[in-house]
Amino acid sequence: MGKIVKYKLNGVEREAEEGRLVIDAAKDAGVEIPHYCYHPALGNPGNCRMCIIEVAGAPKPQVSCRTGVREGMVVSSDSEAAKRAQASALELHLVNHPLDCPVCDQSGECGLQDYYMKIGQYQSEVREDKEHKDKRIVAGPHVMLDQERCILCTRCTRFVDDVTKTHELGIFGMGHAEKIALAPGMTLDNAYSGNVVDICPVGALTDRDFRYKVRVWYLDKTDSICPGCARGCNISVHTNTARPWHNDGKRVARLKPRVNRDVNGYWMCDEGRYGFGSLDADRLGKVLRLQPARTELSWEAVAAEVAGVLKNAGDGLAVVASGMLSNEDWAAYQALFVDTLKVKRHYFASEPDQVGVEDELLRKKDKVPNLKGAQALGLESGSFDELAKNLESGTVKTLYVVERDLTKVYGDRARVLMAKAGTTILQGPNKYSLGDCFTYRLPATAYVEEDGHFTNFEGKIQAYQKALAPIGDSRPDWAIFGLLQKALSGAKTSGAVA
Amino acid sequence: MTPTKAPVQSPFSAEQEKTLLAWTKEYPYTNLGLIEALRSVQDWHRQVEPAAAARVAEIFGLPFNHVWGVVTFFPTFTQWRTGAQRVGVCHGLSCFLAGSNKAEKCLEKTLGVPKKRATADGKFSWEAMECLGACEQAPALQVNERLIGKATEESISQLKDMKR
Amino acid sequence: MTKILTKYFDAEPKLHELETYRKLGGYEALKRALGMERSAVLEEVKKSNLRGLGGAGFPTGLKWSTVPPEDKVPGPRYVVVNADESEPGCFKDRILLTRAPHQLIEGLLIASYVIGSKDSFIFIRGEYQNQHDILGKAIAEAEQAGLIGNNILGSGFNCRILLMRGAGAYISGLDTALLETMEGKKAWPRQPPPFPTVSGLMGRPTVVNNVETLSMLPFIVNEGGAAFAKIGVPRSGGTIVFSISGHVEKPGLYEFPMGVKLRDALAACGGVKGGRKLKGVIPGGTSMPPLMEKDLDLALDFDSVRAAGTFLGAGGMIVLDETADAVEVAHNIERFLTHESCGQCTPCREGSNWSERILERLLEGKGQPQDVVNLARVGENITGKVICALGDTIGMVLKGYIDRYPDDFKKRVTPHG
Repeated sequence: MGKIVKYKLNGVEREAEEGRLVIDAAKDAGVEIPHYCYHPALGNPGNCRMCIIEVAGAPKPQVSCRTGVREGMVVSSDSEAAKRAQASALELHLVNHPLDCPVCDQSGECGLQDYYMKIGQYQSEVREDKEHKDKRIVAGPHVMLDQERCILCTRCTRFVDDVTKTHELGIFGMGHAEKIALAPGMTLDNAYSGNVVDICPVGALTDRDFRYKVRVWYLDKTDSICPGCARGCNISVHTNTARPWHNDGKRVARLKPRVNRDVNGYWMCDEGRYGFGSLDADRLGKVLRLQPARTELSWEAVAAEVAGVLKNAGDGLAVVASGMLSNEDWAAYQALFVDTLKVKRHYFASEPDQVGVEDELLRKKDKVPNLKGAQALGLESGSFDELAKNLESGTVKTLYVVERDLTKVYGDRARVLMAKAGTTILQGPNKYSLGDCFTYRLPATAYVEEDGHFTNFEGKIQAYQKALAPIGDSRPDWAIFGLLQKALSGAKTSGAVA
Repeated sequence: MTPTKAPVQSPFSAEQEKTLLAWTKEYPYTNLGLIEALRSVQDWHRQVEPAAAARVAEIFGLPFNHVWGVVTFFPTFTQWRTGAQRVGVCHGLSCFLAGSNKAEKCLEKTLGVPKKRATADGKFSWEAMECLGACEQAPALQVNERLIGKATEESISQLKDMKR
Repeated sequence: MTKILTKYFDAEPKLHELETYRKLGGYEALKRALGMERSAVLEEVKKSNLRGLGGAGFPTGLKWSTVPPEDKVPGPRYVVVNADESEPGCFKDRILLTRAPHQLIEGLLIASYVIGSKDSFIFIRGEYQNQHDILGKAIAEAEQAGLIGNNILGSGFNCRILLMRGAGAYISGLDTALLETMEGKKAWPRQPPPFPTVSGLMGRPTVVNNVETLSMLPFIVNEGGAAFAKIGVPRSGGTIVFSISGHVEKPGLYEFPMGVKLRDALAACGGVKGGRKLKGVIPGGTSMPPLMEKDLDLALDFDSVRAAGTFLGAGGMIVLDETADAVEVAHNIERFLTHESCGQCTPCREGSNWSERILERLLEGKGQPQDVVNLARVGENITGKVICALGDTIGMVLKGYIDRYPDDFKKRVTPHG
């Protein structure tokens, strides 16, 4: 921290670190100064001229994104002159803006709309026709570009130049003819492309996945943690339950990054952002015994049966899990499988199926959020090769699988290996490809349907919150482990089920 | 992440490549030679196409979007093929007062093409220019950055006979 | 009348050659300067009241003295000649470069000595191809004569001069945009602070001076700052070279002492063409409002012209006679500003174009009274709220012409457009 100085903002004496940008200092004090180009992670080019303030003694208005706080400075962002300057900057942003809000995805979260309602002059003086540019450019796999709506704030070009360093977009042309466009021959296909949609203050860059699905004002937003890798990016889950017919019945409409300077800054990767399809597809809802015949059971009944199976399994029991489990889940897992059942065979390593690309920005190699949570409890994972051998040899007779798709681990061989085990239990939110081959199927909640914590690769424990009601009878993993734990205390020694 | 792809084959001759490389070494910092290098490209190709800009970017070690931004920014660089003789009509105020509009019409008639389009034989094209800094000789024209002052219908109609 | 830069223009057709230039005392000032302490040369420049003749009128000595000394900021520092003359109405640099390239080179070397620049640049607009060639020849001559390069005139001072061309953008003539252009970027003006003297070319301390400004230095070193100051007015020394064009009998280059009366300047170029009535005089280039007939006795120096509500600029004087139409003139200028707006900041990029289109509508006879009010309002909303001076001029020009020639605007509007 630098020196703390006193200054006056809109008539109120405030304190701020010397040199802190007025726009930031004002925000700290709860005063929002309108702006488009300034972004804390992308710098302050000062090109939108929206954040104009009056500084006593300065010969002309200043932009607050390029003015540092000084001792004794007197600043107003709400004086008549400042407000007029902001309104006129907004007017000039709108001269050629198409005003196609009714068909624009940004409606409801658009910087132009928001400031127009707040400081706009309402009465248009523009008699000239709007100029037309390209409206439907497929910028990349995830992003659409509408040049007409663009206000040339350069946030997106700064993102691809400074953050991803992939340089796909640029401002081409000069003066009034300039446009944001793809550099000839390039596609906006970097691993973080979705972020340009977030930082675009208007509707110029929209999300192809979300486009025309739901009006943003129908969305509910819940703080969460991305389960896509060990980084644990802070995210907001945007759900649409008020009008399910708007999004083909899908409850999760989109994921957005939440600012956390210590973890993900302002960003998230495309893998994480667009990887939410499984939350609304392929879900388990019923508590089932599938062998010998499909039978619906109550949680109490299944707990009693499975507890019996586990108790009788002895050394022949192996548990497959994954870093998808929360800290709460891991604690219940440990109580059940380690402390009570003394299971020796645990398989939750991310290798081979839950690893992927790691880069310098955010993405980590482990594509699950919470291996650290298991490690913190001293749990150790055997290798999946070892498990395969144990299944082949008949050493493992009972297989308990939590939130993992064995087909992804073993490929086609998974079916054969599964058949070697006598009793198999699948617990998790999704059916996966072999879901019908298990003896029991216990529906678990997805992370958006429960409260919990993940411990990221750096050991940061982060909370995520329940955004949606559980599907069907599903319960959190820890609750299911708890049920079994409880049932075990009353379970019979010899198996009731063949 | 998509890297800037280098064109398979350089759009430049070996000699031209040498010239471009020389511009990287002309000044105390590599990038200071970029505008001059692009001017060379414009001279050679009578335009700067993306493939050429991409190769220049590679030679200068700059991202392609940066170089393409520069190319599309400066009026000297065109994304259309100019005539061998690139004629500019000054639109500055003094030339306007001296009848640059008339000169422009006369030029269009003489060359028989609208602005920013080369004649069929590729010899000429013309553009409106901002002040050429020859206000005392209004209305002024330039042909390949050589000044022609006090343009008259007669002098314009003789342009076509000019040798480079 | 006293002439400094154009003194030999009539008598010496070969002034551009080194031999002629030296015969007339050329490079004596360089020799003298190299024999002086750098601070002593700077002192003379300060004493001279020389002000930047590229348009801003900033005191040259003061600008130089804001360059941090080598012991505080070690490493290279640069002097850059701004020869990107592009302001409509200005052509003096073109002629100074054509006729007296060595005068500039000598001035540049003196400045480089004071600043400590070992690589100095002349950034010239690409359209000045002849002048580029002339400079190239002059630099080669001077190099051969040991005036440029290592150990200049045995002084131990080393300095190269490097030529660089622009690529057709007016905005490159603004110092920070010029530096961006030199660095191979779009000519998007920077937003000082820091000013170029602290962080300029590639972040190094850099002095950017206009051709005419630097060309004054040989005289200042030879004759002393006081002698130069004496020629002009109290706060602005020496002479100024006006480019005079438009509706005058003898358009051309005219050098006067700072503070010459507008009336005298007009008389020197033969007065208004055809003896017609004067409508106005743009004093420094089209980016500023015109002076009016009532201003004929105004002293033409930076401060007096400023007090009269406009700017001396770079002395690009355009005379308008009664046949000129203010709406056409304003449209011509706004069209220029739209074309040359770099597009970096919104008010200028959008406002210039909007103004141009409103004026276009007035010219088409589709204007309403409200349009004129709106034009002035739009202009006012741009000026003072943009990144650079180009944007500021949009509103100044609109207001300048609307205020001065209300009748011309009235003629262009009908109640129902």
